[in-house]
Amino acid sequence: MRILSRSVARVLLLASSLTALSAVGARAETTLNLCYMNHPVIAANVTILEKWAKEQGVTLNKTPVSYSVYLPKITQMLSAGATDQCDIIWNNDDWGQDLEGYLASVEDVTEVRNVAEGQLEPFHNKEGQTTAVPIVTTAGIFFYRTDLVPEDQVPKTWDQLVSVSKKLQEEDKVRWGYVGGMSYTNTFFSFWWTLWNNNCDIYEPLYERDNVKMGEAGWKPMTASACQKETAEFWWDALHANKISPPGMTTYSRDEANAIFQAGDAAFTVADTTFLGNFNNPDKSKIAGKVGIATFPQGPNSSGHRNWIDIWGWSIPKVIDAEKQAAAKKLLGAMMTDVDGQIEQWHLTGGPPPNTKVWKVLDEQDPNWVKMSKILFDSAHVHDAYYFRNWAATHKVYSDVMIRAMKGSREDIQATLEAGVQPIHDGAPK
Amino acid sequence: MLLLVAPAALVLVCFQIIPIFIGMNASFRDWSLVNPAKTWIGLKHYRDVLSDPVFLYTVLPNTFMLMVSSVVLSLASGLGLALLLNKPFFGRPVVRTVILLPLTVAPVITATMIRWSFNDQFGVITNLLSVLGFPEIGWLSDKWPSFSLIILTDVWIWAPWFTIIILAALQGLPREPFEAAQIDASGKWRTFTHITLPMLKPVIIVCVLIRSIDAFRTFDQVWILTGGGPARETEVFSVYAYVEAFVHLDYGKGAAAAGLGALIMLVVGIGLYKLVNRLMEVSR
Repeated sequence: MRILSRSVARVLLLASSLTALSAVGARAETTLNLCYMNHPVIAANVTILEKWAKEQGVTLNKTPVSYSVYLPKITQMLSAGATDQCDIIWNNDDWGQDLEGYLASVEDVTEVRNVAEGQLEPFHNKEGQTTAVPIVTTAGIFFYRTDLVPEDQVPKTWDQLVSVSKKLQEEDKVRWGYVGGMSYTNTFFSFWWTLWNNNCDIYEPLYERDNVKMGEAGWKPMTASACQKETAEFWWDALHANKISPPGMTTYSRDEANAIFQAGDAAFTVADTTFLGNFNNPDKSKIAGKVGIATFPQGPNSSGHRNWIDIWGWSIPKVIDAEKQAAAKKLLGAMMTDVDGQIEQWHLTGGPPPNTKVWKVLDEQDPNWVKMSKILFDSAHVHDAYYFRNWAATHKVYSDVMIRAMKGSREDIQATLEAGVQPIHDGAPK
Repeated sequence: MLLLVAPAALVLVCFQIIPIFIGMNASFRDWSLVNPAKTWIGLKHYRDVLSDPVFLYTVLPNTFMLMVSSVVLSLASGLGLALLLNKPFFGRPVVRTVILLPLTVAPVITATMIRWSFNDQFGVITNLLSVLGFPEIGWLSDKWPSFSLIILTDVWIWAPWFTIIILAALQGLPREPFEAAQIDASGKWRTFTHITLPMLKPVIIVCVLIRSIDAFRTFDQVWILTGGGPARETEVFSVYAYVEAFVHLDYGKGAAAAGLGALIMLVVGIGLYKLVNRLMEVSR
C-alpha cells in the first residue's frame, strides 16, 4: 500500500512538473490571432508579418474571413468584448470611425505616422490618436492595354474614352471598351471616379468629409445636380447607346470586371492599384505585360484630376491583454520598418507601401513606381467614403438610385436622380 | 418520460427558443451592432418596416411570388420525374441517383453555379443561347430574367425533394385500383387523374405545406444570384432582414423585420393548414 502511495505521489510530482514546464513554455511564446480579408495585398502584408513573427518568437494564427461577412463578424466580436478570437484585425477607412471606440491606440507603433497627409484621420479616436497601422494605400487607377492604345492616345476625357473604345471595338480588337465594377460597394469603379472627375460629389460642399462642416451645410445631396446628371448620362450611354461597356455591368463586382479585363476582352478598366500584380501575372491574366496606368479621363465639368486615396490598416482590439497588445504592436512596428518586405509587397501587388519612407527608396529605383506615384499623389484627393454611422446604408441608397437610372430610359434619368435626393439626405446624420 | 425528452428539449430551448427571445427583445430596442445601446424604443422598428414602401410593395410581393411559383413548379417537375422513375427501365438506379444530386449540393454552390452559367460574358448557357441566335437577355441585370433565374434555381434544388417523396408514395400505392382501371379499359391520363393523383393527394398536400413555409425564408439563392438587385427589385423578405441586420448593422430593425416575417408566415401557415384539412376531407 505504501509502495503504491509512493508511486502515485511520484506520478503526481512528475505530472505537475511537466505541467509547470509546459506552462513556462507556453508563456515564452505569444500567440496572436490575425483576422483579415484574403485580398492579394493583405495576403502579401501577412507574409511580412509572418516573417517577423518567426523572428520575434510569436505564433501567428491566420483567420481569413470572407469580405461579405467580415464587417458584421468583427463588429459583433468587438461590441461583445470577445478576447479569444482576433488580436489583430484588418480595418478599413469606410468603417474606421464606427470601430474606433473598441480599438487600442497604436500611436506608439514604430513609424506609424509615416503616411500621406490626412490618411489616418478616419481611424482617429476621440483623443485624435490613430487606431490603425497602415497596410497599404488603396487607390483606384485607370488601366489600359498598352498593346492596343499607344501612350499618347490614352483617353484624357470621357469623349475620348468613348471614341477610342468604339474605334477598338469596330476594328474588332476588343469586345468592350471599358469595364468596371458597378454594383453596390463597387461604385468606385464606375460612378464615383467619373463623379469626382466631373467636379461633383455625393453631398455639398464638394469633397468635404468633416462631419461638422457637412452638418453646418445641411448635408445637401448633389444627387439631382447637373454634374451628377452628366455622370449618369455618360454611363447610360456607355451601356445602352455607345455600347462601350457590357449591358450587364450594373451587376458587376470588381471581380467580374477584373476577370473580363484579364481575359483580354476590354481595353480599359478602373480598379485598385493592388490588382496590377494580378493583371501582370501570366498565370492569371491573358494580358500580362500589356497593362499601362494613367490618370482618369475627365468629365466635361472637371476642374482637374482627382483621386481617392485611403488606407487599409491593422488594428488591435482594446480588450485583449496588455502583453498581447505589446506583442502585436512590436510585430506591426517591424512590418512598418521592413523596407524590403514592403518593396516586395509593391512588386507583387502594385499596392503602394504603407510607409512613406519606402516611397522615397522606390523613387530612386523604380520608374513604374514613379509613374504610379505621380498619378496617385500629385493630384487632388478625395476620401472614398463619408464617416458617419449610417454611411453603408446611404451608400446603398445612392447605388440603388444610380442603378435604377441605368435600367430606366434616358429621359427618366433626371426624375430618378431627383427621387434619390430625400432618401440620401435622410441617410445623413441628424 | 420527461427525462427522456430532456436532451432534445434542452437543445431546442438553447438553440431555438432562447435565440428567438433574444431576437424579439432586440426588435424593441435601439440595438445597432456597432453601438448596442439596447435602449427600449417600443414598436419603432416595426413601424419603420411597415411604412417602408420597399418592404410593402417590392419585398412582400416578391416573397409570395417566389413561394407560389417555386412550389408549383417544383411540385409539377417532382411529380413528373417521380412518375418516370416509377416505371422500370434499364439504368433506373443510376438515373434516380443523378436526379437526386441537386438536393445534395449546398444551395450556395448551386446558386453560384447558375450565376456563372448565366454570366453575360463567360456563361456557358448565355453563350449557347447566343450561338443558337437567341437575343441577348440581361439574365442577372434585369428584374424579370433575374427573378426567373431565382425561381429556376429554387426549382432545380427542390424538385428532387418532391420527386423522392412522391416516388416513395407511388411505390406504396395499392395495385388493386390500377388493375381494376385496366380491366375497365381506362386510359393512362384518366387513370392518373382519377386514381393516382387522388391517392397521392395527402402526401402532396403535406409536401406543399412544408415547402411553402420553407420557401418563404429563401435566402441563399437570392443573395448569391442578385443580392436583391437590380436596385432592390428582386429582394425577398429574408434578404431584407439580412441587409438591415448585417449590412446596415441595425440588429434591432433586422430583428423586427424577421419578427414581422414570422408573424406573416404564421398567418399564411394557419391558412394553408386549414386549406390542407379541407382538401383532405374532400379527398376522403
